[in-house]
Amino acid sequence: MNHLIYLYGTDWGMGQFPICSVWMILFTPLVAAALITLLTGRQKGLSAALSIGAILISFALSLRLFLLFALKGIQHHPHPIQWLVVGNTVRINFGMTTDALALLMLLVVTGVGSAIHIYSLGYMKGDPGFSRFFACMSLFTFSMLGIVISSNFIQIFIFWELVGVSSYLLIGYWFERPSAADAGNKAFLTTRIGDVGMMLGILLLWSHAHTFEFTELKAKLPTLGLPVGTLALIGALIFAGAVGKSAQVPLHVWLPDAMEGPTPVSALIHAATMVAAGVYMLCRISWLILPSQTALWLIAWIGAITALMAATIAIAQNDIKRILAYSTLSQLGYMVMAVGLGGPTQAMFHLTTHAFFKALLFLGAGSVIIALHHEQDIWKMGGLWKKTPITFWTFLIGTLALAGVPPLSGFYSKDEILLLAIERNPMLFVMAVATAFLTAYYMGREVFVVFFGKPRDYHAYDHAQESPWVMTLPLIFLAALSIVAGWYSKVPDFLGPPHEAQRHSSLLTGGLILVPLFGFLVAAKIYWKAEPSDAPVKVALGNLWTLVENKYYFDELYHWIIQYVQGTIAIVCDVFDRWILQRLGIGGLSVGTGLLGRTVRLLQTGSISGYAFLIGLGVTVIIYYAVVR
Amino acid sequence: MTPVPYFDVLKGLGAEVILTLTALVALTLDLASVRRAEMSVRSRTIGTTAVVGLLASTLPLWQQLNGPRMVLLGGTLAMDDLIIFFKLVIVALAVITVLISMDFDVGRHVGEYYAVLLFGAVGMMLLISAEELITIFVALELTSVSLYILTAFHKGELRSQEAAVKYFMFGAISSAFLLFGLSYVFGVTGATGLQAIQDAVKNTGGLAMSPLLATGLLFTIVGFGFKVAVVPFHLWAPDAYEGAPTPVTAYIATGSKVASFFILLKVLFIGFAGLQGSAFWGNFASGWTMLLAVTATLSMILGNCAAIVQHNVKRLLAYSSIAQAGYIFIGLVAATKMGANSVLFYIIVYALANLGAFGVVAALSSRAGGDEMQNFDGMARRAPFLSLLMLIFVLSLAGIPPLGGFFGKFYLFASAVQRDAQHFGLLWLVILGIVMSAVSLYYYLILLKHIYVIDGSDQSPIITPTYLNVALGLVALAVVALGVYPKPILELLNNFSYSVIAGLVR
Repeated sequence: MNHLIYLYGTDWGMGQFPICSVWMILFTPLVAAALITLLTGRQKGLSAALSIGAILISFALSLRLFLLFALKGIQHHPHPIQWLVVGNTVRINFGMTTDALALLMLLVVTGVGSAIHIYSLGYMKGDPGFSRFFACMSLFTFSMLGIVISSNFIQIFIFWELVGVSSYLLIGYWFERPSAADAGNKAFLTTRIGDVGMMLGILLLWSHAHTFEFTELKAKLPTLGLPVGTLALIGALIFAGAVGKSAQVPLHVWLPDAMEGPTPVSALIHAATMVAAGVYMLCRISWLILPSQTALWLIAWIGAITALMAATIAIAQNDIKRILAYSTLSQLGYMVMAVGLGGPTQAMFHLTTHAFFKALLFLGAGSVIIALHHEQDIWKMGGLWKKTPITFWTFLIGTLALAGVPPLSGFYSKDEILLLAIERNPMLFVMAVATAFLTAYYMGREVFVVFFGKPRDYHAYDHAQESPWVMTLPLIFLAALSIVAGWYSKVPDFLGPPHEAQRHSSLLTGGLILVPLFGFLVAAKIYWKAEPSDAPVKVALGNLWTLVENKYYFDELYHWIIQYVQGTIAIVCDVFDRWILQRLGIGGLSVGTGLLGRTVRLLQTGSISGYAFLIGLGVTVIIYYAVVR
Repeated sequence: MTPVPYFDVLKGLGAEVILTLTALVALTLDLASVRRAEMSVRSRTIGTTAVVGLLASTLPLWQQLNGPRMVLLGGTLAMDDLIIFFKLVIVALAVITVLISMDFDVGRHVGEYYAVLLFGAVGMMLLISAEELITIFVALELTSVSLYILTAFHKGELRSQEAAVKYFMFGAISSAFLLFGLSYVFGVTGATGLQAIQDAVKNTGGLAMSPLLATGLLFTIVGFGFKVAVVPFHLWAPDAYEGAPTPVTAYIATGSKVASFFILLKVLFIGFAGLQGSAFWGNFASGWTMLLAVTATLSMILGNCAAIVQHNVKRLLAYSSIAQAGYIFIGLVAATKMGANSVLFYIIVYALANLGAFGVVAALSSRAGGDEMQNFDGMARRAPFLSLLMLIFVLSLAGIPPLGGFFGKFYLFASAVQRDAQHFGLLWLVILGIVMSAVSLYYYLILLKHIYVIDGSDQSPIITPTYLNVALGLVALAVVALGVYPKPILELLNNFSYSVIAGLVR
């Protein structure tokens, strides 16, 4: 059995790449999820231990593979398992990709995931659904790792949807709250809209290339001679999937609502991993989009618009998690823009650093929320820096990293993207710089309002205390990563040959350092005081403030459209029913009484004659079209 | 005239014979021995008899498996591996239906209920092996008449009576259409055997369709359109599904659908092999693919949109079945070997998921006091296991991986994209299918929201019999297995389908 050989590896000798561990990285969390669901649901401690143990094993194995590759250059291309073959054209494998891109992403997912799993131990303490929560987390981790190692479009799509399902379960985790359930539905449905395009794109590509495998497609694509339009169409359709998953405009509306889930879920799914899946997929298939200028143009602009728009919305939000949610949207926009500018490497670099500091910020926010007994409104906080020192300092590090202050990691990755932008498209560069300024500004606002000034709710303030070690330790771990992740300047090189674009202009870099500092200064001027308020900004911005406060009315617009469409459908159905049941029914009644009298009375409405008439009519029309014409 | 080889016929139709005898035994048993007993005992006894009979009927089928293709009674009935496989599918569906029924109040006439149910199974099995127009018609009538009777089994309920009469009237109309169409086909080609029709069509110049033949083809498709409930011939379905006793609804929606789609596939792919026409965008030509493409479009749009506004679970599932029939037609429109395979695979997945969903509805609605949406509020806490199964069935119907429904739909769409890929000929249909299955997720999630989120007024736990839980659990397992590891079934179908598409050009 060849399968067994692939599963357990052929040779454990020196220098051999142990294939076994790739499978173990993937399946250990699934086993944990199954065990928790089937066996240990009652024992909370054991369930948590299983789930955390599973992701730690995955993390250790990922780290080992990463180091083997990074230090010794050992890489292996494992043979895929044939999942199914039908005829000559449908061949689908269950494969494993273990290139630099996948290894880096594995490390990010399992590393950040481990920190968040451990943190959850403290955050979810005493929750009635403790075991169920950890089972869902493990299921989610499995699905996400599945996306990372996928070697073909069908495999990635299956895990893609699995991620959707498990995030649906996790967002709706507190489904006793209707708003949480609605948010889960919204996330599932919105991302599905993007998936429609993705599936179509996959099918279209396959109908020309007759394979789903990434490596085969990459080799085959130049020889296919596809028309430029077709290529752009395929690229744009598959990009639609990423638009849904990575919450880009216009499908971004689900992400802020998804903050209804527990905070560790927000950190894992809506900051570090799931939303990054779209960007990862784009990087994975960069060979498909790079040849099409149209697709690149579309991707870059969508990314830039998302980045700027989300940043402007973030300046007017009051929920500590929502501000971070919009900031996530904005940073994802950066990454997508980088892909669109032809720099998947830069996008991946920013994805990595962003995963660290955004997870850190979310967990920090969670720590604040717990300290204040589930208070999320920033205007009820204040002066917390003395009460929760570890949370404060780590949150500050995350903020500086996000804003792109050197020498923290965010500076390096953002710098790369900005340099790419100024070289390829100055207009996008301007938008990106404006976003960078706004990022520093709204993060400054959050920090000043939450941690400085006078406490605004003394009762909550007096009871506030630092979170336990299981929660602060992950914070410190992530803070350390947020600082150093950019220093390892080989991360971009690791992914591929360096771009021409990276001839740094020191003058430009120096200028870019000033942007976040300026943002912080403005925020400090307005908000660094004992009694900060939005009033001066409101006055200055006028109607613009109302617009951004209401998120450009996207939700209202969609709500209106859905209601309108649904209303129309309902009316059409209603008219249809009425027309047939009543009009035709009653009409038929008078004609067919003698014939159908008894039946009609039995049926109350006599609809049959109406139906029959309609059928006759339908058939006649079809005959006309099919035969006579 | 050669003497009829009765012994061979008996051997070839062993399964049908055993089922007919079992039906008679069930009737006698009920009449003779257990009529006085308690209702639940009666139902269990007769039901068990039916299950035993169904299982026994597979014995001759297993025996004939891997044998050569056999033709009975001058080519009216055939036996080959594909046919045997689908007869086994019918048996499996019937067994689950019987198990669901045993837990359901079917009224006083228990013996008659199971006997008629078994007669229906006989009809479906004959339908699957039929390869000649008159036999097809007779088998279809045997199936349909059994189902009309079963629909009316809620004797006390007006809804059930109304549904039965509607179903019967529409069935009669559709039979008339079908018979009319078949008579034209016979008139033009002078043949009733499917293969003979194909030869005759080819000899008369193939694609040059005479108006008479076109009319025959059209009426035949209209007739079958009723049976599989596609728009605009669907009007009976929501009422019949809602009114019939739920196990019967499950039977109509699964067993009879599988048999009808199977025979439709054969009639189109063998009998009318030369008359496909074209449904390629901008290049339409008269023929059955064009007709099916139009009905598929209407079914997917109307079925999915109408399902959104339903408040009754059975009605919702009825509209969802109409939409599903639309997806299945996409595979038929592809008119290739891959298309045939995808249709065969999908009807199995569809039947299992639908049977499971109706089974859960039957088990829960009889205990929760109704089959309206709000009767299912908070069901996840009252019956967690069956709710979980419902989640699996519904997500499979919505086409979410890794469940069977996802792969089935993917296969259908892939087969259509594959056809005329260079000019995107059938892409319009596939786009519609994918978009509409995204829409379908909306109403499936509404149903799940009632089950999982909204709190019900009644919080008492619901206990269902173990045999039913096990049976439905197995169905769910099959739905998952068909999605995670479809390879064995696909390879099986791929090897089989030679007999179906033998006549097709491609």
